[in-house]
Amino acid sequence: MDSESPQPLTARFPVGGGEIGRLIQTRDWSKTPLGPLDLWPQSLKTATNMLLLSPVPIVLLWGEDGVMIYNDAYSVFAGSRHPDLLGSKVREGWSEIADFNDNVMKVGLSGKTLAYENQELTLLRHGSPAPAWMNLDYSPVLDESGKPAGVIAIVVETTKSVLAQRRLRESEERFRAFTTATTDIVYRMSADWKEMQQLDGRNVLADTANPTVAWQEAYLFPEDIPAIQAVIDEAIASKGVFECEHRVRRADGNTGWVLSRAVPVLNDGGAIVEWFGAATDITERRRKQQQLELIVHELNHRVKNNLAMVQAFAYRTFRDAEDIPRALDSFTARLVSLGRANDLLTGELWSSASLKQTLDQATVPHRPDGERWKLTGDDIRVSAKTALALTMAFHELGTNAVRHGAWSNDGGAVSVKCSLQIIDDGTQRYRIDWDEHGGPRVEQPKRKGFGTVLIQRGLAAETGGSVDISFAETGFSFRLDAPADRLRNE
Amino acid sequence: MAKRVLVVEDEMTIAMMIEDMLMDLGHEVVATAARLPTALEVAGDGNLDFVILDVNLAGHQSFPVAAVLQQRGIPFAFATGYGPAGIDPAFAGRPVLDQAVHNCRSCRCHRN
Repeated sequence: MDSESPQPLTARFPVGGGEIGRLIQTRDWSKTPLGPLDLWPQSLKTATNMLLLSPVPIVLLWGEDGVMIYNDAYSVFAGSRHPDLLGSKVREGWSEIADFNDNVMKVGLSGKTLAYENQELTLLRHGSPAPAWMNLDYSPVLDESGKPAGVIAIVVETTKSVLAQRRLRESEERFRAFTTATTDIVYRMSADWKEMQQLDGRNVLADTANPTVAWQEAYLFPEDIPAIQAVIDEAIASKGVFECEHRVRRADGNTGWVLSRAVPVLNDGGAIVEWFGAATDITERRRKQQQLELIVHELNHRVKNNLAMVQAFAYRTFRDAEDIPRALDSFTARLVSLGRANDLLTGELWSSASLKQTLDQATVPHRPDGERWKLTGDDIRVSAKTALALTMAFHELGTNAVRHGAWSNDGGAVSVKCSLQIIDDGTQRYRIDWDEHGGPRVEQPKRKGFGTVLIQRGLAAETGGSVDISFAETGFSFRLDAPADRLRNE
Repeated sequence: MAKRVLVVEDEMTIAMMIEDMLMDLGHEVVATAARLPTALEVAGDGNLDFVILDVNLAGHQSFPVAAVLQQRGIPFAFATGYGPAGIDPAFAGRPVLDQAVHNCRSCRCHRN
């Protein structure tokens, strides 16, 4: 060795390099393909020193065998293979991926580079194969003659971030599946609810694909907005759940109802990033609820009306009664008749009833057996109110027939003829003729009872028609002539 | 003192009872109206001291009649099965007779 030459580098090689630096210094390299440390070529020493001083995980694969020299950062990645891995041949040290490294060596020693991002490799870790991901960058290292003598690899394991991304993707897919599976309307709002980012309307509402600030006009009614905005403000202030039942403009142009709920998405600092919401179409539920309220209200009215009628019957029946037991019978019969009218109308949901069926039902309790009742002619549907009035009037007609008329002896009969007629001005009139025959000789009653008043005045006023009563000697008769439309509608 | 009364009531059975009650109290029933047009006519030009006004007349509310009576300064009382909640706020404070059970004696307490 030339005395003029500088002090041999071996004296201070490698410089630093932490645990691996000391290992390299103390190991006996003479039995390895690299030979004794002081005989390593300068290019190998330079490359070794460079990687030892790097905080990035780097491994040098030297020579055809790829003998491995690496730094502290790489030893962490090597795990339990370290320290035996140091100085081993790459195809043997990482035997499970020998094919992969074979290619790396061939390409690197031919002077080319290789780069992999998130490359998946199955490595033996803790005694069993496990997937691992890494960013790998390979470049050739030249010897003193300028020929590639080794490959230097920067190895950054990305397993954690790859798995995190995969979990995120799976979570997003689950979320997408959930929002597809639900029939709820799904929406996203900006942090301050000024802008709707997106809304999937499920054919109930129109979709919003792009962010819009005009969402309130599109989906809500102006008069509802202040109340809804108050709930929004409260949710924003408390960073809590938004929950509100409100009206919406449906995609089909009709008015609907939704139960809408939204939760804020917060960032690490606790500030609202956006709102995620779901709304259930409750239009049908609201409609039924309203219908029920209406029915309860109407039922209350009918109950009160019935009570008032009972009172009217009582007042009228007992006011001038001389014979109390007989008045009680009349009163009871009237209540039974009222009850039957209620039964008839309940069956029709208090909408309308058949006129002939109404007359038939009203007279049933009074009719004797045999061919003593004949109901013929045209039938029409009449309103609940008309049916009630007809029931009460025909109850009185039946009562009178039993007491004084055609049903008071063994042979008399009642025939009722109904007819719908179109008169000259095109309007329809309905006529009911009640004729009694075969009964005892009829006498004009000395005074008008409540029943007769109910028949004459009540029915005329109720139907807007005229009522005629005749006490002919051969038989009592009654005639109603009323506008058919009024019987149908009022 | 006998009063001249208009009965506005669309249920004839009830109307007749109210008439009887009023007559039993010694009053005179000037007219009974079952429909809105008739009621408006009598309320507009009848010689009346008092009116009993059913709120619902065959599906129509009788508040136009109340407005006419108020203008003419004729005392009246509502009769309704729907309770005081169904009364137009313009006539708040007017006596309301619950239609379930009538007691015309109570009308005497409500002279406006």
